[in-house]
Amino acid sequence: MKYLPLVWSGIWRNPGRTVLIFLQVGVAFALFGVLQGLKTGVEQLIGAARADLLLVHGKLGLVDHLPLSLLEQIKSVPGVKVVVPVELFLATYQNPNQKMIVVAIPPVEGWLSAFTYTIAPDDVAAFRQTRTGAILKAPLAKRYGWKLGDHIPLMSMIAQANGSTDWGFDVVGTYTDSDIGAGGDALLINYAYFDEARLTGKGTVAHFNVAISDPSSAVTVADEIDHRFANSPNETRTESLRELAQSQMQSIGDLNFLIRAILSAVLVALMFATATMMVQSTRERAPELAVLKTLGFTDRAVFCFILAEAIAVFIAAAVCGLALATAVFPLASKFVPGLSMPVPVVLAGLGCAALLAAISASVPAVMAAKSTVPAALARL
Amino acid sequence: MNLVRQSFAILCVNLSELRQRIGSVLTIVVGVTCAVGVLISMLAMGAGARRQEVGDARSDRVVLVTSGARYGQSNITRDEAAAITGLPGIARSAGAEPIVVLESMVPIEGRRRITGKRIYFPLIGITANLRDYRPELRLTAGRMFQPGLHELIAGNSCVRQFSGFDLGDRRPIHGMDWTIVGRFDQGQAQQCVVYADVDGIMATFKSNSYASVGVRLQAAADFNAFRNAVAANPGLHLEAKHESAVIEEDFKQLNAILDFVSYFVGTIMAIAATLGAVNSLYAIVDSRRRELATLRAIGFGSGAVVVSVMAESILLALPGALLGGALAWALFNGLSASPFGYSFQLAVTPSLAALGIVWALAMGLVGGLLPALRAARVPVTTALRAA
Repeated sequence: MKYLPLVWSGIWRNPGRTVLIFLQVGVAFALFGVLQGLKTGVEQLIGAARADLLLVHGKLGLVDHLPLSLLEQIKSVPGVKVVVPVELFLATYQNPNQKMIVVAIPPVEGWLSAFTYTIAPDDVAAFRQTRTGAILKAPLAKRYGWKLGDHIPLMSMIAQANGSTDWGFDVVGTYTDSDIGAGGDALLINYAYFDEARLTGKGTVAHFNVAISDPSSAVTVADEIDHRFANSPNETRTESLRELAQSQMQSIGDLNFLIRAILSAVLVALMFATATMMVQSTRERAPELAVLKTLGFTDRAVFCFILAEAIAVFIAAAVCGLALATAVFPLASKFVPGLSMPVPVVLAGLGCAALLAAISASVPAVMAAKSTVPAALARL
Repeated sequence: MNLVRQSFAILCVNLSELRQRIGSVLTIVVGVTCAVGVLISMLAMGAGARRQEVGDARSDRVVLVTSGARYGQSNITRDEAAAITGLPGIARSAGAEPIVVLESMVPIEGRRRITGKRIYFPLIGITANLRDYRPELRLTAGRMFQPGLHELIAGNSCVRQFSGFDLGDRRPIHGMDWTIVGRFDQGQAQQCVVYADVDGIMATFKSNSYASVGVRLQAAADFNAFRNAVAANPGLHLEAKHESAVIEEDFKQLNAILDFVSYFVGTIMAIAATLGAVNSLYAIVDSRRRELATLRAIGFGSGAVVVSVMAESILLALPGALLGGALAWALFNGLSASPFGYSFQLAVTPSLAALGIVWALAMGLVGGLLPALRAARVPVTTALRAA
């Protein structure tokens, strides 16, 4: 502890140089935080996606509709808790650019367990009672100025039985969605009302949401469901939300190589720059270090001083850089909803900073420890 | 003139003694190399993607879409399609048929050859005059699909990336087997595309409207007349756009993301490299205090000192730029990437290399400024006395 003032004055011996090194390390670790944080954050999101929630859709994806009658057969598969049919379509409000997805669901017993939505009990009750009821996300309601009880007119490609493509719904509540792709504007409506009102495609659904009792049996249950419909006109493909998240985020996984290359380039350049700087400043300080040794400090103590100075500067700079990265992270969540800075990345960054400091300070520290008093003082 | 001569003289002296300052010099070179290398490699993604997107676009090809719809998501009825055929200015095939191709699009899934991972890509139902519309399409094996039969032709990039697209392979689609009868190359495209007969696809998926209509004009100059004819026809609720415009719209988001990421990372690295250069140049200047004072004492101007240090800084940054560009080219040019589900080859183009050099010059200029000013302000008497 008593050596702290010595280390402190060593750091500030050449303030300009220290500030530049500090900035350089800070900038490098800001980049480290953003890139590595993005990668790890996405991996964490995938890990957090629900494995106990399966989606059963037609084998060719969402273009392929399934008949509602599959519901009972899916329900009979062992391990299945709740099955809820879901129909999707695109609607626009006022002009063709204000798009939203309409999700038609029958609010059957326990339906919420098969979704990632959170809805207040009162709103659920209102949704059940209002045939034309709609539940939406608060930001969407705010954007178009919709309030509880409002009647909202939407346009879509889907025709009603009377030939009109205009649809109207009444806002009965709001919901939040914890799913990874929850950025989209989606509106929940009653399946019964929609199915009765539409002209064509009655009795079909885009997919079934299936909640299972044991997340670890997801693969077995999914295979069993697909197996039941194999070689039928309605072949299915069952995937858990986690699998879906994985394939959605696959694209970012493809960038792993690039991220690694960039970070290596950054860290190598940084190490090189700081090592040269520190050799230079240790050379300039040789007489002072010799004075320290004359006063009785051991070679080892001098070695530790140089190392401690470097580590202190690096850690402080890395803390600032990583804090900066964390501050800009909300910007990245525009591309990947729900992303946040993972703690392990911050810790890894700090560890990395300490390691880099130790490596780049080791050469000058050894130089300082090895130099002899007469040789150094002779240069004065 | 005097300034130039003096600066040049100082620069020569400075450069000749750089050998003793090898550490600082390498710091600048390595820093700039990394910054420029990363910037060019990142931008190579955007350049590669763009080259592939619009590389095959032709100015005489026009795409008709429903107003406001994204490419491939239009709803064009059979009546509208028939009306389009009668519009003026459309090129005619050898059989005197107007070259109008009707498309519908459904996603089908493939499995990556190496990882076995599922991935979705477009199966395009298209009319059989496809080759009049896209002369760059070359069948490399097998034959064209026949209308009315369940046949597919697959791009060679599909065959490379995914399993199950070899000649004669059968793919179950909606309970029916569709056979791969041909393989093709299509211009510069790396993206996997599979074509089939449009009516067969629409019948299978019970669809009644086309997702997009392509038209080849007699001459590119006919575009305005054609667009007006489309707008003037009351039976058509469509918009005519140049093929390249439609493609650019479709990729706007991807390009914006790639550009943003490239410049974001590139700028941060440039800042770090510049800071490193400033530090090294300060060290170099500090070690020369005596020489600088001597020069000033024998009559060299402070302007010449500033210019010489700036020139030195730029000269030190340049090898970094060349090295960085060369490294980016050697490591990444032609590398296949598929971020965000779109495959293309990275392209390190001459214009990117030029940009890298400009970037390095800027780093040298900015990094050299403060050290140059310090060099010019070396107090002559104290510096000489200290010696």
